[in-house]
Amino acid sequence: MDTVVTVSHVGKSYRRYHPDRPATIQEAVAKGLRRMRHVERFWGLRDISFTVPAGRTLGIVGANGSGKSTLLRLIGGVGRPDTGRIDVHGRIGALLDLGAGFHPELTGRENAVLAGILNGLTRRQVLERMDEIVAFAEVEDALDNPIRTFSSGMQVRLGFAVAVHTQPDILIIDEALSVGDISFQKKCLDRMKQIKASGCAILLVSHENSTVEEFCDDAIWLNAGRLIAQGSASDIVRQYQAGMAGAAAAH
Amino acid sequence: MMSSVAARRNTRTFEWAQTRDLLRELIARDIKLRYRGSLLGILWTLLNPLAELLVLYFVFGTVLQVTIPNFPAYLFTGLLVYGWFQTSLNFATGAVVANRELVRRPGVPVLILPVVTVASNLVHFVLSLPILIGLLLVTHVPLTAVALLLPGLIAIEFVLILGFAYPVATVNVWFRDTSHVLRIALQLLFYMTPIFYETSTVPANLQWWYRVNPLTHLVGAYRAILMRGELPDAGGLTYLTLFSIAVCLAGMAWYRRASYKFADEI
Repeated sequence: MDTVVTVSHVGKSYRRYHPDRPATIQEAVAKGLRRMRHVERFWGLRDISFTVPAGRTLGIVGANGSGKSTLLRLIGGVGRPDTGRIDVHGRIGALLDLGAGFHPELTGRENAVLAGILNGLTRRQVLERMDEIVAFAEVEDALDNPIRTFSSGMQVRLGFAVAVHTQPDILIIDEALSVGDISFQKKCLDRMKQIKASGCAILLVSHENSTVEEFCDDAIWLNAGRLIAQGSASDIVRQYQAGMAGAAAAH
Repeated sequence: MMSSVAARRNTRTFEWAQTRDLLRELIARDIKLRYRGSLLGILWTLLNPLAELLVLYFVFGTVLQVTIPNFPAYLFTGLLVYGWFQTSLNFATGAVVANRELVRRPGVPVLILPVVTVASNLVHFVLSLPILIGLLLVTHVPLTAVALLLPGLIAIEFVLILGFAYPVATVNVWFRDTSHVLRIALQLLFYMTPIFYETSTVPANLQWWYRVNPLTHLVGAYRAILMRGELPDAGGLTYLTLFSIAVCLAGMAWYRRASYKFADEI
């Protein structure tokens, strides 16, 4: 199998700034630019390496703030790692924000077209798939209303529907599944199995260990920005649960 | 199926079509958002330069009685050309910070955000051109074949504005009061550009500024082709073009470098 995502020794640092850091030109003139510089760095991700072959699903588990979303963003090309490199072969379909990056004032249709284009399609290709997308998301009646009138569940459904109908080579999903109801979750998982079978690699962040265990082939466990373990999904979920139970007991 | 899909994706034509569609969607989105809820929206933006024209014409044409031939058309050309520059840069402060959801989303080439700002304001500029042409015809200025150079001038102005839009968008990511400072700078520049006066009436010791200011040459070139039916001054046009390209390349390079941090800062 071809490797579609290669993450090697990736680190991402964030800068912590002086509390008095100027945020306006006025303050910068008054206080001087000296305080613009960061006072310290901390690593949001450190020395992360793994690969994802085509047609495999990788689950990412870890506590809040362990760097899961940061990692998905970097793979999606948002920002740049400070160390190491990320190689991606193929088109990415992504659903990282629960709002899917929709604009509240635009209609569902307008947002879906833009989202489809951002997932790498042309306008015409999106329009050709619109019926399918809308039917999958079950938002037929609301499609031409502004997104702000959509419930959060409807927004996620539409975002998810666009992401899985754009034939991505790599699909990145962050926590989106937990918003829909059970029947929609099942529909999503079925659809993901289908596109996985056609060779799409899937990276999935979920707080529901059962989802990772059932759906993913492999998994990695992040803690405080470091990769604690990688292996088969069931092994990693077991280790993670044991680790979390141990941490809870220690408190 | 996989191979045909891969082949299609690998073609440059596809990437170009995709970028073009993205640009188109984002520009349409910009315009829709600005006017959603007000059908009169576009009309208002057209009325704006007209109101400015009336005020300035009253002050300088009627009260102070400047002797510039066909002053209304002279003034309106300057106002429109400067207006596109000014509104684009005012909107450019939000090109990154107002598009948080796009900047943090995979698949968005952030380099195009300022392009979208300048382009959506170009739409207004183009929509107000018929008014200018009307004014020229009413004041008996014959349009000649030289006026066909207009798209070329518009392209140069586009590059010039974009060159400033990139740094303006970047600075506002870190300093959120950029728009205030910018507004003052743009107001000063308005008076320091020959919009309602002629460069020839400026004192000799200030002439250097008008040679350096690219907007002098830009406004001058528009007036040459539209009002006088002449080719623009070759030296001025060359300077303007080189200046625009240089500013655009430098601005873009700076923006690109800074863009890796955008997602962390907004």
